[in-house]
Amino acid sequence: MHESQGNKAFAFSGDWREFAPIAFTNLLLSIVTLGVYLFWARTRERRYLWSRTQFIDDRLEWTGTGRELMVGYGLAMLIFVIPFGFINLVVLNSAVMRGHPGLAGVIGLVLYLAVFFLTGVAIFRALRYRLSRTLWHGIRGGSDTFGLAFGWSYVWKSVLGWFTFGLIVPWTMTSLWNERWGEMSFGPYRFRADALAAPIFLRFLLFYLAPVVFVFAVIAVAVFGVVAGGLGSWGTVPNPGAMPFVLLAIMAGFYLLFFIVLGVIALVFYSAYFREAVGALRLGDLEFSFTATTGDWIKLFAGNFALVIFTFGIGQIFVGYRNWTFFIRHMHAYGEIDLARLTQSTTRQPGQGEGLLDAFDIGAI
Amino acid sequence: MRVWHYDGLSALRREPDLVADGDAFRLVESDRSEGPYRFADLVARDTVDGDAIYGLKGSTGWRIGFPGGLPADLAPRLPAPTRYGRLIDRIGLWPAAALCATFAAIAVGLFLMTPALVTRAVPQSVERKLGDMMAGDFGDRNCAGPNGPQALAALVARVAPGDADARVSVVNLPIVNAVTLPGGRIVLFDGLVKAAASPDEIAGVIAHELGHVRHRDVLESLLRQLGLSVLLGGLDGHVGGYTNALLASAYSRDAEARADGFAIDALAQAHISPLPTARFFKRLSAGEDAQGIGRLTAYLATHPMSQDRASRFIAAANLHHDDRPVLDADQWGALRDICSADPKARAAGFRF
Repeated sequence: MHESQGNKAFAFSGDWREFAPIAFTNLLLSIVTLGVYLFWARTRERRYLWSRTQFIDDRLEWTGTGRELMVGYGLAMLIFVIPFGFINLVVLNSAVMRGHPGLAGVIGLVLYLAVFFLTGVAIFRALRYRLSRTLWHGIRGGSDTFGLAFGWSYVWKSVLGWFTFGLIVPWTMTSLWNERWGEMSFGPYRFRADALAAPIFLRFLLFYLAPVVFVFAVIAVAVFGVVAGGLGSWGTVPNPGAMPFVLLAIMAGFYLLFFIVLGVIALVFYSAYFREAVGALRLGDLEFSFTATTGDWIKLFAGNFALVIFTFGIGQIFVGYRNWTFFIRHMHAYGEIDLARLTQSTTRQPGQGEGLLDAFDIGAI
Repeated sequence: MRVWHYDGLSALRREPDLVADGDAFRLVESDRSEGPYRFADLVARDTVDGDAIYGLKGSTGWRIGFPGGLPADLAPRLPAPTRYGRLIDRIGLWPAAALCATFAAIAVGLFLMTPALVTRAVPQSVERKLGDMMAGDFGDRNCAGPNGPQALAALVARVAPGDADARVSVVNLPIVNAVTLPGGRIVLFDGLVKAAASPDEIAGVIAHELGHVRHRDVLESLLRQLGLSVLLGGLDGHVGGYTNALLASAYSRDAEARADGFAIDALAQAHISPLPTARFFKRLSAGEDAQGIGRLTAYLATHPMSQDRASRFIAAANLHHDDRPVLDADQWGALRDICSADPKARAAGFRF
């Protein structure tokens, strides 16, 4: 099977008008079931998005079920979230109240690291779940490992990140990406990823230093303002009572500017990271690339933001659709697949869905 | 009949003929034949590009597709696809939505009623103990200046004659507020006593708090907070917090209005004018308007103030006649100095 240069390997043929009935009935059913239907809603959405996504010569198919997602969520709640909440609320508080702040600190730290560990495991398992529920030519993906090693890796790389004041974050991100994709497979083929931190480090530095520059700029402006005010304009302010409000408005403006500017700079870095990460991915003889620029990412986020704001939140039901089409539009693959050698995956199929990830409220890829 | 087929073992796409035989079928190509499979074991998948697609129970990736849709003669033998979910498909979307909405309304209603029901089930004695436990912190700040407690008792007796449950005390803290604890303990802070222009104003505040006591509002709101924080704790932190605050404040507005109604009745029966209470509320809310943000008194924070509240008290005054002041000048003096003239009451000042 060959991919010619002219044709895109990934293509999306859906239409938001075709998707709208799914989105609105999902919303209706989620409301009247007080949110229980969300698991089935997510499944229906994915079934639609996958079925309209063509890879080379055939559609993808999502085979996950709402029940799996619900069981996964229930298990995650039962095994982790409730016990953690109990330890956090009861054990920690009673340790503090009985005068053992040191003990409480140790428990708190262990708890914090445990949450990091589980977050890592959750990211790994969500990716594994999604691959295992994705069919192409009747073949699925998966992983032979459970993500425990990845969880530890996630912990120690994060801790190392703190000790280096966050400067190694690009390395943390790329090496964790390589590690988790390296454990994944599709059919008999193992994914390989060798993303590097060096090509994206400059952009990261921009993001890293921006707040510092920004704080200095604010201080400079403030000092300038006070000095200028002291030189004469101060006395001409008609209503001294209005000053706090002017200052407040300026502060609010800076605050907003700070997050918009920082958000954009974060995307400057993230777009480069994602290009590097996807570009370093291999499956058999297939190579991948991702072409979204910073501008594309900004358009995606600004569009999603406008969609949600101007519809008073209802537009939220189309955000998943937009994200998926963005992803597919910019995703490319090159190389050959030998269909005769692409046999069914022998990995163990996970029994339930992305519970942990839901519980911690994070995304998979 | 020609179908396309993945066997779930390799990625090769086959195009066999489906040969039906009773309730089973085989997939036949020139060089191979698969099956037999039972029609009943097929699982309908979504139709894609007009192709009706079926999987096989217990077999990952096994698929057959009927190009252009399912042939009419096979349709009755094959299971229908699930659309919204098996249960909802059986009932139909709108009936299912209506049914779920009914259940949801009942569940929400039950949940919101639970605190009121549980409150009624809690014995007064248990509530009293809970209140004493919470009031323990105030113990050494209770004020008992010369003739102060007697003046306070006289005031309470006028507002709530024959109410043995009423236990009112003044605590030496410079906060303009009053709180009711579970079990009918009403605590006035010295700041509120000092901020009042006349004993009638204090009488109005106490009558309002007695309304909370009578309706056991405090225990109910404690239970509601507990229930909401447990339930909404599962949600994302912000959503949970906001919802919690909104629900709790909606209930507290109702409870406040009820307590005001109780206070208006109590003042009328005791022949105490409601106008000073209205003036007191007005002074508090005027303080909010004139001084701008940051001057919110504690009383306003826990007793949301509105023009309506003062108006209700003013309107009630029309029905009053032969009102008498609740305390005479000497008693009022003793009450005002209940803390400052008490050397034993712990001085104001926070130790946190």
